[in-house]
Amino acid sequence: MAVLVNRSAAEYQPGDPGWLWAAYEPSTQRPWNLAQAGHLYRRAAFGAPWDELQQALSDGPQRAIDKLLRPQTDPAAFNREHDEYETSAAGSVNELRAWWLRRMIQTPHPLLEKMTLFWHSHFAANAANVNDVRLMQRHVRLLRSQALGSFRTLLQEISRDPAMLLWLGADANRKALPNENYARPLMDAFSLGSGNYTQKDVSEAARACTGWFVLRGQLRRIDREHDDGGKTILGQKGNFTCDDVIRIVLEQPAAAQTLVRKLYRFLISETEEPQAELIAPLAKSFAKDYDILKLIETMLRSNLFFSEAAYRRRIKCPVEFALGIVRGLEGMVSTTQLAQDLANLGQNLYHLPTVNGWTGGLHWINSATYAGRHNLALALLQSSGPYGGKLNPLLIARKHGASTPESAARSLLDLFLQGGLDAGVYDAVLKTAQAPADSTGNNFEDRLRRFTHTVATLPEFNLA
Amino acid sequence: MSYTRRDFLKGALGASTLLSFAPAAPSLLVRSAMGAPRRDDRNTVLVVVQLSGGNDGLNTVVPYADDEYARNRPTLRLPTEELHKIDSLIGFHPRMGAFLQLYKDGFLSIVQGVGCPNQDQSHEVAMRLWHTADPDHPNRQTGWLGRTVDGIRGPNRTNAPAVFVGSIAQPFALNAKDVIVPSIRLPGDLVAAQVPGQPDDRSQSKRIAELPRANRDNPLLDSLRQCATNTYDNSRRIEAAAQTTANTAEYPPYGLAGHLRTVAQLIRADIGIRIFFVELGGGGIGGFDNHANQMGNHCALLHQLSESVAAFVHDLRRDKALDRVLLMTFSEFGRTVSENGRRGTDHGAAAPVFLAGGKLKTGLVGSHPNLTDLDSGALKFKIDFRRVYATVLDRWLGFESRTVLDGQFEALDILSV
Repeated sequence: MAVLVNRSAAEYQPGDPGWLWAAYEPSTQRPWNLAQAGHLYRRAAFGAPWDELQQALSDGPQRAIDKLLRPQTDPAAFNREHDEYETSAAGSVNELRAWWLRRMIQTPHPLLEKMTLFWHSHFAANAANVNDVRLMQRHVRLLRSQALGSFRTLLQEISRDPAMLLWLGADANRKALPNENYARPLMDAFSLGSGNYTQKDVSEAARACTGWFVLRGQLRRIDREHDDGGKTILGQKGNFTCDDVIRIVLEQPAAAQTLVRKLYRFLISETEEPQAELIAPLAKSFAKDYDILKLIETMLRSNLFFSEAAYRRRIKCPVEFALGIVRGLEGMVSTTQLAQDLANLGQNLYHLPTVNGWTGGLHWINSATYAGRHNLALALLQSSGPYGGKLNPLLIARKHGASTPESAARSLLDLFLQGGLDAGVYDAVLKTAQAPADSTGNNFEDRLRRFTHTVATLPEFNLA
Repeated sequence: MSYTRRDFLKGALGASTLLSFAPAAPSLLVRSAMGAPRRDDRNTVLVVVQLSGGNDGLNTVVPYADDEYARNRPTLRLPTEELHKIDSLIGFHPRMGAFLQLYKDGFLSIVQGVGCPNQDQSHEVAMRLWHTADPDHPNRQTGWLGRTVDGIRGPNRTNAPAVFVGSIAQPFALNAKDVIVPSIRLPGDLVAAQVPGQPDDRSQSKRIAELPRANRDNPLLDSLRQCATNTYDNSRRIEAAAQTTANTAEYPPYGLAGHLRTVAQLIRADIGIRIFFVELGGGGIGGFDNHANQMGNHCALLHQLSESVAAFVHDLRRDKALDRVLLMTFSEFGRTVSENGRRGTDHGAAAPVFLAGGKLKTGLVGSHPNLTDLDSGALKFKIDFRRVYATVLDRWLGFESRTVLDGQFEALDILSV
C-alpha cells in the first residue's frame, strides 16, 4: 500500500507560496507512485485504464503531465470527426449530450474535455432557454476551442455567442432600453465575482453593449441601436463598446484572482478557500496573458497538487464518477442512457441550473444522489440491463495477470483506488471478494462484478 | 463525526497558516450561514400540488348565490342543486363531493381570491411567476422552493430535502442554485437497489463506510461516510414503509393519486424530506387550459383532484401522520368570469388555493372576489400569493420566508401550530 505524501513540517513553509507552486520533484520522502498517478488522472482526465496508469508511473510526473497537456496524438482530427458526428446526428440536445460523453470517454486529450466541462459550468448555458440545438452545439464547440486557450478570447467570443445571449435573455439590446442580462453575469459569475463591481458599472456596461441582437439564431449588430455616448466603467471613461468592457474587466486584478480561485477549487481542493497570498502569484501571472494552459500547467505540476492538501479533497461530479468506472474498465456503454442517468444525479449536460453553474462539492451528495450513484454503478456493472453488460471487470483483471479471486480483487482496487485506502478498509473490502456468494451467482465473473460495485460505492471512490 | 471550523482548517496544509477562512468565504462552508435557517427541529412536511393550465376557480368554488355567476356563464353554469354547498353563498363543483367532506371534517381550507401582481396572460410567464415568487424579476433563476432548500443547514443536510414526484419535467419552483432535488415516480427510485446474488450487499456497504478511518482529516470523506450511512438506512426505511402501506391504503386509479401514494409512503419512511411537489394537468400548457368545451374535461380533473387528495388525507389519518402534513394547491391563474362563446373560458387572474392537512384552523379564508370588479374580464386578487407562501414557510415548515421571498409578507393565521 502506497503512502501518498509524507508531510514534513520543514517542507511546508507557511507564507511561502513559492514552494507550493513550484514543480513537484519526486524524492524518497515524496515518491512518484501509483496513488499520485491516479490522483493526476482523476483531476486532469476522467480516470484512466491500467495501462495508462502504468505508463504514467514509468514516465514520471513531468512526462505524464506533458502528455496530458499536449498529447502526442493530435486530437484535432479526432475532434473534427466528432464535430461531424454531432452535426449529422444533432436532432436533439439529448443526442448532443450522448455524443459529448462519448467524446469524453474516447478522446486522446481528456484534459481538453475536462476543461470544456469546466467552462460549460462557468458560462452555465441552459438549452431549455436557448431552444436551438445547433446553437448549443456551436456553444460547446466554442468552449472547447478555447478551453485550454486564451480566457480573453473565450470571453470575447462568448459575448458574441448567440446561444449565450439567448440563454441570458440578452438577445435584444436597444439603445433606448439597455439590457443588463448579459452585462451583469459578465461582471459577476464570468469574471470579477460579486463585490468587485457596482450596479452602476453594470448599467454602463449594458449601454456599451447596446446594438447587439440575436435574430433567427444569428448574431446581428445594428449600428443605430448602439449607444456611443460616454460611459464610466470600473473607473475608466470613454465611448466604450462591448469589446472595451471585456478589456476593462480583464484589467481588474479581481478577474484573474476569481478565476484562479475557481480553478483551484476545480483542480486542487474544495475543502477550503485559499488565502490571497497563495492565489496572488498565479493570478498575477495569469493576468498578463490569460493563458489558460499555462495556468493549469502550473497547478498540475505543483508541489501543492501532489500534496495531501489536494489528495481526495474534491467530490467527483457525476460525470467523473461514471466515467471513472467506464474508463477504468476500458469499455464503451450507451451514452444516451448515461446522459439521462447523470441528469438524474444532478448533472444534466447542456442544462445548467442557474447562471452560477453547478455548485458541486458536497452539494453533489445527498441520500438520493448517493443511492443514485449506487444504482448507476450497479447498472453499469451488471451483466445485463440498460448498459448491456459491456463492462467486464474479469476481462480487465485477467488482462493484468490476475487469476485468483484475491489477486483479481487486488488489481481492481489498484486500478480504482490505487491503494489510497486505510488498511482496515482495504482489508474489509478485499474480504467481500472472498465471501461465499449464493448459488445464483457463484461464478468468478459475477463475483468480480459485485466486488467492483462494492468498490464504486465506497465513500473514497466518490472523491476525486 | 462533527467537524469544527478548526478541524476543517487543519486538514489541508497541516500547521500552515497559509490557508484559512478569507472574508470572501468558501461557498461550501459559509453558505450555510445564509439563506433560510431552520428555526427548530420540526419534521413538518409540505406537499405542493400544481394544477397546470390555469384552473377555473369560479367553477371550482362556485358563487352560486351571485346572479352575476349565472349571467356570465350561459353554458358552463353549474346547476345550483348539484353543488356541494359550503354555505349560503358558495359551493364545491358537483364532482368534488370528497372536498366538501374534508372541509366539513376540518381537513380542508379554501383561501379565496389568491393571485399575484404583474399577472401575465401567458402560461409560461404566469407559471414562472408562481414558481419564482418574484414578480419583479421575471429572469430570476431559482424557484421559491429551490431557494428554501438551498438555505437548509444542520446535521441532516445529507438527506434530500425536497422531491418532485411525477413524470413531467421538474417544475421550476424546485430549481435550486446548490441543492440537487430528485425527480422520482415511485419510492423505490430513492432506494439503493439490492445487488442480485448478494442479499447483504447494502449492509456490507454501510458497514465498510462506517469503519473508522485512521489519521484522516478530510471533511469531505466524513460527509460521504455519513451520507452513505443515511442512504442505506433510508433505503430500508423506504422499503419498510412501502410494505406496510402498499396493500392497505386505497387510492383511486389516477396519476395524481399514485403520486400522492408515493408521497405518503415517503412521509412514513421519515427520511428527512420536508417538501414534496406533485402535479395535475400534465405540465406544458396543461390540462386545466380549457378555451373550448371546458365542462367535461374540467369535471374530470376536479374529480381526480378531490378524490386523490381525499385518499391521501385518509391514508395519512390512519396513523396520525396527517398532523405533520400540509398540502397546498395552486394554478398559474384563474380564468375569465365570462365564458368565451366556445363553451370555454380564457386566461384570468385570481383563484382559490386549497390547503389540506391535520392542523388547519379555519375552513374559509378571505372572501370571494367580486364578480363585477374585474380587470380585463378577470377576478382581482385579494390575497397576494406570497402571503400563502410565507404562511407555509414561516408557520408550517419553520423556514424564514423573508430570505426566500426577499421581503416580509404577512402570514395568514390559518394553522394551529
